[in-house]
Amino acid sequence: MQPEALLLPAVTIPEPLRAPAIVEGHVTPGSLDDQVLQYPARRPPAVWYVALAFTASVMILGFVLIGYTFYMGIGVWGNNRPVFWAFDIINFVFWVGIGHAGTLISAILLLFRARWRNAISRFAEAMTIFAVMCAGIFPLIHVGRPWLAFWLFPYPNQRALWVNFRSPLLWDVFAVSTYFSVSLLFWYLGLIPDIASLRDRTTSKVRRFFYTVFSLGWRGAASHWQHYEKAYLLLAGLATGLVLSVHSVVSFDFAVSLVPGWHMTIFPPYFVTGAIFAGFAMVVIVLVIVRETMDLKNLITMYHLDVMNKVILTMSCLMGYAYVMEGFTAWYSMDEYLHHIFMQYITGTYGWAGWLTIACNVLIPQLLWMRAVRRSYVGMLFVSLAVTVGMWFERFVIIVISLHQDFLPSSWHIYKPTLVDFGILAGSFGLFFTLVLLFARVLPVIATTEVKPLLPGAQPAHAGGHHE
Amino acid sequence: MSDRTFAVVGLFHNATDLMAAIPRVRAYRLGTVEAYTPYPIHGIEAALGLRRSPLGGMVMLAGILGCVTALFFQWWMSAVDYPLVVGGKALFSWQAFVPIMFEVTVLFATFTAGLGMLLLLNKLPFFGHPMLSSQAIASVTRDKFALAVEADNGTLDVEAAKTALRAAGASALEVLFVPAEEPISLQSQFRTGAGILLSCAVAGYVMYWAIKLFPVVPPMVHMEDQPRLDAQRASAFFKDGHGMQQPVEGTVARGQLPYLIKTPFEAGEKLVNPLPRSGPVLQQGRVVWNQHCGVCHGALGNGVPMLTAAYGAKPANLLVPPIRDYPDGKFYHTIMVGKNAMPSYAADLTEDERWAVIDYVRALQRAQNAKDEDFK
Repeated sequence: MQPEALLLPAVTIPEPLRAPAIVEGHVTPGSLDDQVLQYPARRPPAVWYVALAFTASVMILGFVLIGYTFYMGIGVWGNNRPVFWAFDIINFVFWVGIGHAGTLISAILLLFRARWRNAISRFAEAMTIFAVMCAGIFPLIHVGRPWLAFWLFPYPNQRALWVNFRSPLLWDVFAVSTYFSVSLLFWYLGLIPDIASLRDRTTSKVRRFFYTVFSLGWRGAASHWQHYEKAYLLLAGLATGLVLSVHSVVSFDFAVSLVPGWHMTIFPPYFVTGAIFAGFAMVVIVLVIVRETMDLKNLITMYHLDVMNKVILTMSCLMGYAYVMEGFTAWYSMDEYLHHIFMQYITGTYGWAGWLTIACNVLIPQLLWMRAVRRSYVGMLFVSLAVTVGMWFERFVIIVISLHQDFLPSSWHIYKPTLVDFGILAGSFGLFFTLVLLFARVLPVIATTEVKPLLPGAQPAHAGGHHE
Repeated sequence: MSDRTFAVVGLFHNATDLMAAIPRVRAYRLGTVEAYTPYPIHGIEAALGLRRSPLGGMVMLAGILGCVTALFFQWWMSAVDYPLVVGGKALFSWQAFVPIMFEVTVLFATFTAGLGMLLLLNKLPFFGHPMLSSQAIASVTRDKFALAVEADNGTLDVEAAKTALRAAGASALEVLFVPAEEPISLQSQFRTGAGILLSCAVAGYVMYWAIKLFPVVPPMVHMEDQPRLDAQRASAFFKDGHGMQQPVEGTVARGQLPYLIKTPFEAGEKLVNPLPRSGPVLQQGRVVWNQHCGVCHGALGNGVPMLTAAYGAKPANLLVPPIRDYPDGKFYHTIMVGKNAMPSYAADLTEDERWAVIDYVRALQRAQNAKDEDFK
């Protein structure tokens, strides 16, 4: 990638520090195109239709239940007093977190010059967008009258009111909508040269029309690449700050309140870590499926999955640290309310959820210390599924347990989700995987223009800045 | 296709050959030399003599603009246009504005980076470029590298360009022409204009009905539409068909005790001022006086008001005997039933306001007839 050249002068990397080759086997720019760009032109196999039918059915179930909620009101959920926030906010935080892995891979790893990201960045970015779409549903339906959700934005209105800029909930509106717009832009910019490649190789007139429109007439001029690369680097830098800010702002929804168990300074880094953790697990799950079903083993290599698993392991250790710090804060604060809530995390009615969180997020990922587990499908899928479950339950612990016993014992209440709650949660997974399936068949799943410059011999030999 | 030449293009099979060819072709000085590549090539900007991308500065400015915009609007909305105290915070509590300032900074900067690059610097979308209809483009977006000698000021020595490219090692040479510009007929302009107008009209009509009807479709009804009985509506529930029933006979609404005293003397004897002559009471009395009484009786209560010239009757001077010595109850009676040209103020003032303004009148009287012991 060119941004590397813009960042630092060319250096000779000593042998032990050289990263393994990004692809396996003999891959040329032409063969890469043939391998990756064939899918949009091909008729999908039967198993794809079966999978799509399943995920789309679950998605439709979710939307029907959302419609039911609109008609009946949110009384059909299990939310009660004092557990005003439950599944909807858990799911929101969960999905926004999933999205963070994509931006981390596309932006932060680009700045860190982790070249292995180029092969998986496109898929991870797409997952970011789909996850944020899933996330966006939940605050919208939680407001109860979502057709008035535009009231969240400061616009001149006949009520002569403005929104409250001191509320973290409003910061959230700005953070999440900015995050979605920027992720979409970043993803689309990366797609433009790939869509141009699709445009020039397709034979179907209809497809060619759409590819032409969406490639904006990209012609690969050197003068264009120059600005393009600069824009990409700038976007990466800006998205890096953005991704760290978004989950911090999400954590402010909790930390800025006075609820015991929420009002802690550790929340922003704790949430960002958890987001990256859950997101990487989801990326691993999806990548394994894509790698196997789409025959991309030479492009998404075991090396990629191994590195991803190492990131998951690191994040798991950080999560363990955060959990210990939460307990320490509760003890050291000498605040009896905080102490009580922390004991509820591990011994209360929902104590099982607390222990499930610790087991899934801290204990099980320790298996990844073993190279054999990091490089086996069974091992990594087991860990990633455990992390996905664990991270969902972590948000359950934070939100439901902290709320269900607040300062006033007379208002304590047990929370029980209803079938509608579970249905909408399932529906969000249906939406996510439906979009993933459609994406895998309509657009290039690997950023070919980002992988091509890393292939052997892709850069001019005399340039000297060639980092192979 | 016109006969004006746009460029001569040749293909190279790898980046090394391309980079070697660029300086050789440029040395002929036949026109602008541009390369078309499937991915970015290290060091090609310098070889082609391209100027540094100005995007960084643009993004920086946009970011600063976003930050200032967010700060300004949050200040204006929270502290100027709608100054509402929330949680005891200052109206301009800038610390709470930082998250949104950051987000808007990023939003402005990223869209400047993305759209500025596409629209301003690269002049995309553009579908009419000759390169897009060339033979070479399919290889360029795949794995080949094209070098083009493009016409400066519309002139290009095609043969010389071909020779230069061939000498530099290019293959599959191709001459590209400027696409012909066909004038747009009046008829098609008219058709386009009419189409736009018609679409706007249809869209407007649909939007009108959508906005009108959407809020009354269940469950989108607003909160005021509830299955409850409104006060002035009919109802089949009661025999008389009224939504709201009459209160029980003799019911007295709060603050609406009937005034049964007939004469000022009776009032003077029976009524006692319940309010103390304290600071807040006198403050309230002054407000009431200035709003209701002072217009006629004068700001000082001396019957010399602002309206004297236009007003036939002479308002009473409350500062001199015998009025000065009236008991409080007599004043109260006058407020309740009026006197001479003065109408009743019973409907305008509450019980407390009446007594408070009487206390204030006492203060006015004392101020204008101060005794020696008042000066201390």
